[in-house]
Amino acid sequence: MSSVTQIAPTPVAPAVTRPRSRKRLRKAGWNVLGLIVLAVMVFPVYWMVSTAFKPGHDILSYTPQWIPTHPVLSNFTDAIHQQFFWNAVKNSLIVTTVVVVLSLVLAFLAALALAKFSFYGRKPFIVVILGVQMVPLAALIIPLYILMSRVHQVDKLSGVIVMYLTFVLPFAVWTLRGFLLGVPKELEESAMVDGATRFGAFVRILLPLLGPGLVATSIFAFIQAWNEFIIAYVFLHTPEKQTLMVWLASFTTLRGTDWGPLMAGATLCSLPVIVFFVLVQRKIAFGLTAGAVKG
Amino acid sequence: MASVAESGVTPASRRRRFSRRRVGQAAAPYVLLTPAAAVIGLVLAYPLYLLVKMSFEKYGLFELIRHKGRWIGTANYASIFHDGEFWHVVLRTLVFTIVCVSLTMVLGTAIALLLLQVSRWVRIALTTGLVLVWAVPVIVAVNIWRWMVDYQFGVANWTLTKLHLGDFARHDWFANPWTGFGVFTLLIVWGAIPFVTITVYAGLAQVPHELLEAAAIDGARPWAIFREVTLPLLKPIFVILTSLSIIWDFQVFQQIWVMLDARPSSDYYTMAIYAFHQSFQISEYGLGAAIAVVMVLFMFMATLIYLRQMLRTGEVN
Amino acid sequence: MKVRYLAAGLLVAMLAVAASTASGGTSRSHATKIVVWLQNDAQNGWPEAVALANRNFKAQHPDVDVDVQYQSWGTHLTKFDAALAGGDAPDVIEMGNTEMTKYMAAGAFKSLTQSAFPNSATWLQGLKGSCQFNGKLYGVPYYAGARAVIYRTDQYKAAGIKSAPKSLAQFMVDGQKLMKKYGKDGNYSAVYFPGKYWYYAMSFVYDYGSQIAIRKGGKWKGTLNTPRALAALNQVKRVMKLSRASKTGDEANPQQALVFAKGKVGSFVGNGWEWPYALDTKVGNPALDGKMNAYPMPSHLRGKFMPTFLGGSDLAIPVTTKNQGLAADWIKAFTSTASESEIAKAGNIANTTKLLSFNASNPKLAPFARAAKYSWFVPTSPNWTNVENANVLQNMLVKIATGRASVRAAATSASNQITRILNTGA
Repeated sequence: MSSVTQIAPTPVAPAVTRPRSRKRLRKAGWNVLGLIVLAVMVFPVYWMVSTAFKPGHDILSYTPQWIPTHPVLSNFTDAIHQQFFWNAVKNSLIVTTVVVVLSLVLAFLAALALAKFSFYGRKPFIVVILGVQMVPLAALIIPLYILMSRVHQVDKLSGVIVMYLTFVLPFAVWTLRGFLLGVPKELEESAMVDGATRFGAFVRILLPLLGPGLVATSIFAFIQAWNEFIIAYVFLHTPEKQTLMVWLASFTTLRGTDWGPLMAGATLCSLPVIVFFVLVQRKIAFGLTAGAVKG
Repeated sequence: MASVAESGVTPASRRRRFSRRRVGQAAAPYVLLTPAAAVIGLVLAYPLYLLVKMSFEKYGLFELIRHKGRWIGTANYASIFHDGEFWHVVLRTLVFTIVCVSLTMVLGTAIALLLLQVSRWVRIALTTGLVLVWAVPVIVAVNIWRWMVDYQFGVANWTLTKLHLGDFARHDWFANPWTGFGVFTLLIVWGAIPFVTITVYAGLAQVPHELLEAAAIDGARPWAIFREVTLPLLKPIFVILTSLSIIWDFQVFQQIWVMLDARPSSDYYTMAIYAFHQSFQISEYGLGAAIAVVMVLFMFMATLIYLRQMLRTGEVN
Repeated sequence: MKVRYLAAGLLVAMLAVAASTASGGTSRSHATKIVVWLQNDAQNGWPEAVALANRNFKAQHPDVDVDVQYQSWGTHLTKFDAALAGGDAPDVIEMGNTEMTKYMAAGAFKSLTQSAFPNSATWLQGLKGSCQFNGKLYGVPYYAGARAVIYRTDQYKAAGIKSAPKSLAQFMVDGQKLMKKYGKDGNYSAVYFPGKYWYYAMSFVYDYGSQIAIRKGGKWKGTLNTPRALAALNQVKRVMKLSRASKTGDEANPQQALVFAKGKVGSFVGNGWEWPYALDTKVGNPALDGKMNAYPMPSHLRGKFMPTFLGGSDLAIPVTTKNQGLAADWIKAFTSTASESEIAKAGNIANTTKLLSFNASNPKLAPFARAAKYSWFVPTSPNWTNVENANVLQNMLVKIATGRASVRAAATSASNQITRILNTGA
């Protein structure tokens, strides 16, 4: 993350140097604030993870147990041994990976069209993109099912993938377009004067600059596909095809919810997202240093 | 820098290249758009048509089994608009959306700015923490929060009592819809901040270093740099995030549904819950379709301002 | 250009691979497989019963596979509705008994011949009623649950309660003794009674000789504001004073047996399975074993029991099936005496009175079997599910519990709503 830009770089003129100790103090102050924000935001997640390690009878308690006094791994083993866990992992990975890759490619192309070209049908398409996101999913389930049933895509991962794509694309196009609009035109133009074709300019100049935007979009697509429940539940019937979210729902029966294994299962489900993020987060600070036009 | 003269084209070839280029140029946006448009179109066209059709039909369980609805014109819409409760629900949803979106955007952006000020390791920790929050499935997040505010076993009541902020022993947060919605606002803003922060941060990271340095060399103060250089470049992203947040928060359903054990009282109805309750719960899908159409129209009007700005800023000259 | 085509091709290939590796089944319907939708309670609760049924079915039809797919209660009807709309509903489906009437009225199920099914002459009346519509049978009773008072024998003893109360009046006196002894702890409940626990509250209404609604001359009328029902609801309010449970919560969140296991509850009204659940080694308190017992909730009439809500599930055959015979055979296998015995062992009430004696011989199940003999059921209107979904009863009880409305006002408002909803579309 060393290439992250700072909004307020210290001025270069030698006459105006801030005392180093004051600067360090300010930095420390920001750091403390950052850690407080981290603690507040992450607390519920901490509660989830610590519950995953608590034995069942300690979970419901009149005085909260901040740190598990007798941590156990049994919730995790119970969760993993719940039927169809590994199937669900496989299915979720397939669906999510395909959705992320496809949505990035398709959305990038479409965002290019919307941001860099002026053409007939541009405005209606933007309206459609926005409008599509406004339709409540619950209302669409029956009509979608009727369609999918007719094309034999019920109980198929491919059907679910296509539906997820449909719901991720509008957002992805919308957001990438915004990032594209944020790239100064001078860069593009100077690349084209260099003799590159328009598309060449797109790929060589814009794509690297879009690193942060692509990362944000890909995380969004990943989480949307990974955490989606109702479509997976309604459209996937055979237990071998079901995704992790549907699997998580099996912890709630008429007898209430098995909190320990559910929290353990939820913790396990959150891990791939973190892994994915750690892998791509360096791109967020890619900045202008790579692929920039040298003057 | 290469000069134009170096392109070295003869008049004849220039004419040929020009016309082919022109056709390519004109076709380019359509070619680029087609894959995405095809996916969305193929999947949603027919269901959307069905949805609108169903909104004009009586389509209950009886009709559903026989795959055929009964045409009743605008009767569904009439019953929606004549329902006194409907307008309460609209107002409630509007206020709730505005509060949630405002808090989300302000706090999300503030944290993104904070990310730029902290040291590297704090930044990594904070972004990872935010993604962790983002990664938690909604159902799980709601259940965690529900526990935290539980009547007898919740952390919130215990902590507040211990901090001597009052007697919160066995305080029921949902007995009063105001405190109840307070909890929901916290929950939704908490869940929405990571996405906003990371997207804004990505946008900030994209701001050209050269521009910032140039402005600094010119002697501009940090806040002025932010206002004059960074903010305009971030504007498209802000507009996008706000419009999306409006759309999403308007449709809030799962959090309220799960937190209140799938049995919310009418004080807690948002548009999405109202829609679900009036239709899907009782298998009146025709009425549900009509409510969905009405919701889309409402959201459309709400984002119209942003929509017009979007179209204006997106003008390519 | 080239890069684009290459990328597109690669992705299409990936998609095809993913789709083809993931789609196992064929979409043509051979009579080589039947699909059964059971709720996930069977998955963890009585898997032996399911295995037994599958084995016997396989013996009868060696070339037919059974695909048992487990559903969650919250969203299973949405999934069923979608499947019906798409024409690929399962061959057998488990329905909650209060969900049956609506679907029977819409013609969702095939009609069945009662005599073809095992033990049909001795089916529990409470369950059988939920499978019948307009004189025809559309489902097979699967299992039921009856509620009784589960209590702490040591706390009763310490509070000076010598034996299980034989009347409601005695029950109240005992409750007050418990509160006197332990009630100083702000978290203690003599009778754990969450505000939205309508299964228990409505039992009072039926005990006092009233009901939720009656059908007169083809129209339904809500009767919760009749004098007898009001007397019952006033009594409910008095019982709630013995409880420190949430006035706006229900009995499942948090699960009341687990709250009981925490030690600050004298008694609660629960199903048969909630007794062993409180003793569960993982989530309960095994140390309470030997300190618990149960008795059917006493009526306000001395020596009698209060009717208990007979919750349960039925099995039905959706009208879209192409394998009616096979589906019926599977249901027969699953509701055979052997299979139902397994289900009863798990703490449920089997679907036949023949097996009630099985429960009766087990001290942990006997009180519930006794309670099951006196039961009440919801009005058998196709619109009843809508009343449940509108939370009419829960909202009424919360208003009464929190004191936000008088008993009469809350009951009248609820009654009017019930009348309106039950008569919709009539």
